[in-house]
Amino acid sequence: MTGLPVLSIMTWAPFVAALVVMFCARNNPLLVRIVSLIGATISLVASLWIYFEYDRTAAGFQFQEEFALVPSLGITYLLAVDGISVLMSLLTSIIIFAGVFASWTVKNRSQEFYALLLLLVTGVYGVFVSLDLFIFFLFYEIAVLPMYLLIGIWGSTGEVRPQGIFGWAFGRTGVGTKEYAAMKLTLYLLFGSAFILVGILALYVTGGSRSFSFLTFQQMTFDPTLQTWVFLAFYVGFGILAAIWPFHTWSPDGHASAPTAVSMLHAGVLMKLGAYGVVRLGIGLLPDAAVEWAWLVGLIACINIVYGALSAMAQTDLKYVIAYSSVSHMGVVMLGAATLTVNGLNGSVFQMFAHGIMTGLFFALVGLVYEKAHSREIFKMGGFATMMPGIATAFTIGGLSSLGLPATAGFVAEFLTFLGAWGSNYSWWLFPGVIGAFLTSIYVLRVTKQIFWGPKSEDPHFQHLPDAIGTEWAALGILVFVLVLFGVAPGLAVGPIDTATVPLLSRLPGQ
Amino acid sequence: MTLNSGMPLAIELALFALAVAVLLKGIIGRAGQDPRATESAESVGRAQRGSGSGTGWMTLFGLLAVFVLTFFAEEGTSILRGSFVQDGLALFAKRLFLASAAISVLGSLTMRQYAFSRRSAEYHFAIVVSVLGMSILASARELVLLFLAFELMSIPLFLMTGFLKREAVASEAALKFFLVGTASSAVIVYGMSFIYGATGSTALEAIPAGLADGNPLVQLGMVLLLAGLGFKIAAFPFHMWAPDTYEAASTPFVAWLSVAPKAAGFVALIRLYVQGMGDSMLAWIPALAALAGITIITGNLMAIPQRNIKRLLAYSGIAHIGYMLIGLAAFSSSGIAMLLFYLVAYMFGNMGAFLVIETVSRSEQSDGIDAYKGLAQRSPLLALSMLVFLLSLGGIPFVAGFWAKLFVFWAAIERGLYGLVFLGAVLTVVALYYYLVVAQRMYIDAPERQEPVRIPGLLATAIAICMLGVVGMGVYPAPWVEMAQRVAATLFV
Repeated sequence: MTGLPVLSIMTWAPFVAALVVMFCARNNPLLVRIVSLIGATISLVASLWIYFEYDRTAAGFQFQEEFALVPSLGITYLLAVDGISVLMSLLTSIIIFAGVFASWTVKNRSQEFYALLLLLVTGVYGVFVSLDLFIFFLFYEIAVLPMYLLIGIWGSTGEVRPQGIFGWAFGRTGVGTKEYAAMKLTLYLLFGSAFILVGILALYVTGGSRSFSFLTFQQMTFDPTLQTWVFLAFYVGFGILAAIWPFHTWSPDGHASAPTAVSMLHAGVLMKLGAYGVVRLGIGLLPDAAVEWAWLVGLIACINIVYGALSAMAQTDLKYVIAYSSVSHMGVVMLGAATLTVNGLNGSVFQMFAHGIMTGLFFALVGLVYEKAHSREIFKMGGFATMMPGIATAFTIGGLSSLGLPATAGFVAEFLTFLGAWGSNYSWWLFPGVIGAFLTSIYVLRVTKQIFWGPKSEDPHFQHLPDAIGTEWAALGILVFVLVLFGVAPGLAVGPIDTATVPLLSRLPGQ
Repeated sequence: MTLNSGMPLAIELALFALAVAVLLKGIIGRAGQDPRATESAESVGRAQRGSGSGTGWMTLFGLLAVFVLTFFAEEGTSILRGSFVQDGLALFAKRLFLASAAISVLGSLTMRQYAFSRRSAEYHFAIVVSVLGMSILASARELVLLFLAFELMSIPLFLMTGFLKREAVASEAALKFFLVGTASSAVIVYGMSFIYGATGSTALEAIPAGLADGNPLVQLGMVLLLAGLGFKIAAFPFHMWAPDTYEAASTPFVAWLSVAPKAAGFVALIRLYVQGMGDSMLAWIPALAALAGITIITGNLMAIPQRNIKRLLAYSGIAHIGYMLIGLAAFSSSGIAMLLFYLVAYMFGNMGAFLVIETVSRSEQSDGIDAYKGLAQRSPLLALSMLVFLLSLGGIPFVAGFWAKLFVFWAAIERGLYGLVFLGAVLTVVALYYYLVVAQRMYIDAPERQEPVRIPGLLATAIAICMLGVVGMGVYPAPWVEMAQRVAATLFV
């Protein structure tokens, strides 16, 4: 590597900003925000630079940085990006940049809030760019842990009344409170990381190469039985973070309870870490097992799509609707990966990006609506479009992308995924996918109509609500712009993705 | 400079001298005071500044001096025809015992309780004698010496548990601990008698040959020894004494009790079951793996409902013993190395947590976890150190406990114990639940009072030392790993 260690700069800039916030900006809320913004901007610039400088004609990993950390154990600080990570880093940068603006109004203990948020982002970048599995795991843990405090301290307690045959049991656990959500999310994700750790150690020990480098592992062929269960460990471990059914229940609770910027980051980026892990480690290192288990991954993905959409339809709390829609959309991501075709995998990665932006936008909007109207109850609100036209427009664009309307990023992603599903060994996967898109249009349009475009609510609380102001526009503007940009010019994303997915799939048996 | 080979006992002699000196100092200091005068409340402070803290400081510096002395001891010597060896493991263990005892003494120097200031010499004498016992234990390669060392270590522990003799719980805990402890000693002696009867020798070198012959009496003896040592390290199903003892005894002492005697138990296990045993012990792997698994499950599950933080840490400590047993169950050089690393990480993390508990309970007069409500807003640094200790115990990256857990898993995977590793990894999540419950009290719940917790300077120093250890080992584990590997390698030649 020559020149600037741009990946390290991108990864550690938020961390440095977090340290500065913690130690130098005590009791100065504005300085806290400016420092955070500077940190996020540095990362954004770095990731844009990587995006433009990434050589699309050469496949493989670029911008490599290497530094031996613990030579005796083969742990190396090894960073590099391929097309998938380029796009994911860009997504992370956009979301955190918008997230800093979206949480401008956090009042209580804002210093710690921003520090934890930035720390979290460092973990996310680290996962996307590290090629040493050990470092990868460390970053993964950094990305998961601050969540507990972020939700527990700054979260909100929703109005959830447990119903059904297990209602009494859920009632006793304190479901709906932020403490419950924070604990549930953290334990689920750490449970997943336990599986991942065992999988990584198993590969390391059986590989016998005294190296954790992804590139070294890629050269090896692992025993099929080992592959079978290690893939399953990775699938469950990362899948929990990608909210695969039936391990998805942390996600609606967690996202509904989390403060705005945290929901944006978590639903927008962290869930992608899970899908990224399955693609990178699962398909990338264990090709035989990937083919062997494709049926399971695809089946669960189909359940995710339909089940998530149906659950979203049943919700009355706006934030829960968005949270369940994430479960459904992550199903599309996993379905695309399970097809093991170029189109499907491209669609999967594209959907990671599109859903990240879209869901970030949604959570930002829900946060704004809640801040203005102090309500998340869909059926109490109505006719907000006359009072907050900007928010209504942004919400509608997001909604249209969510149901896959052409000229939005969501369309390209779903189209590619379904194309891949049709071309895969299991062409029936297409149908749950399309049904999911159909169900999505029902709940999205219903919510949009009820809150923004329908008749105006009689409730006196909802008569004089302001539109978005100042920094809030910044968050919305960026996200809407990106969403439409990648919809009309999908080649911006498909170009780099292709350079990563084609070599990845060429390693599969029978290709 | 090294001590010449005729003096492998130098460390033990120094400890013995220290014990006598502490006792004499106590007697001389007491003679100068009117015994009735110290009974009155206002003189407690004076007594504390007098002989009370005097013996404490003397013990502290004495232990530190002996700690330094261990670095001049010559490695690889033995006396008494190989019964007493000064090898890498012995020195490693002795340093661990001395360091943990020094941290504990530092933490108890400002103890307010009346009994501690007045009977300080007895307390510190007991600590030094117990360390002496551990120190001999670490070097013992012979059954009778091993047993004697065990008793020398244990009896002062019973005394110190019941040190607050006017409190009923302390007496109860001491009695329970005493009965369980002596019963386990009896089991150990019983097991030793079989081994001696079958092999005709009390030297540990005779055991592999006995096992190789397939002599059932030797097998039985080894099983009994395992059970007896299981009591000492509080492995399932011999763990019941730990929570009661921890709850009743004074916290700085518990900090030490939760680490050093268990480390001593593990050293004995390594001597008996690993060192020089060759492949004859491989048949024991399933049994030890099962013991490790059950201990982890019991400790972690029992910790969940606890609302007293000392009991919570007692059960979590049982779970940690299970994780260390994973390292033992691997029966490999790396497994033992990782077990030793785990012991050091556990020492810093657990002692640190107990010292924070001591600080909080002095200020809040409570050991309930509700006493930690809003600690982060009252005393941010104290809350941060508690969080770091708990995360280390929970096995989170960048603190020592992560590497400890990772390394024992690593060793176990090399041995092919995938199931056990899965179990252990999944149960770390359970452990994190109850650690996070405490974190929730500290960071999420609102404080009931606003004024900061008062932290005595000496306690703060002790906590800072533990913090340094936990974070230092977490960020840069390499030198500790290399040290542990070097020690473990000598056991497998």
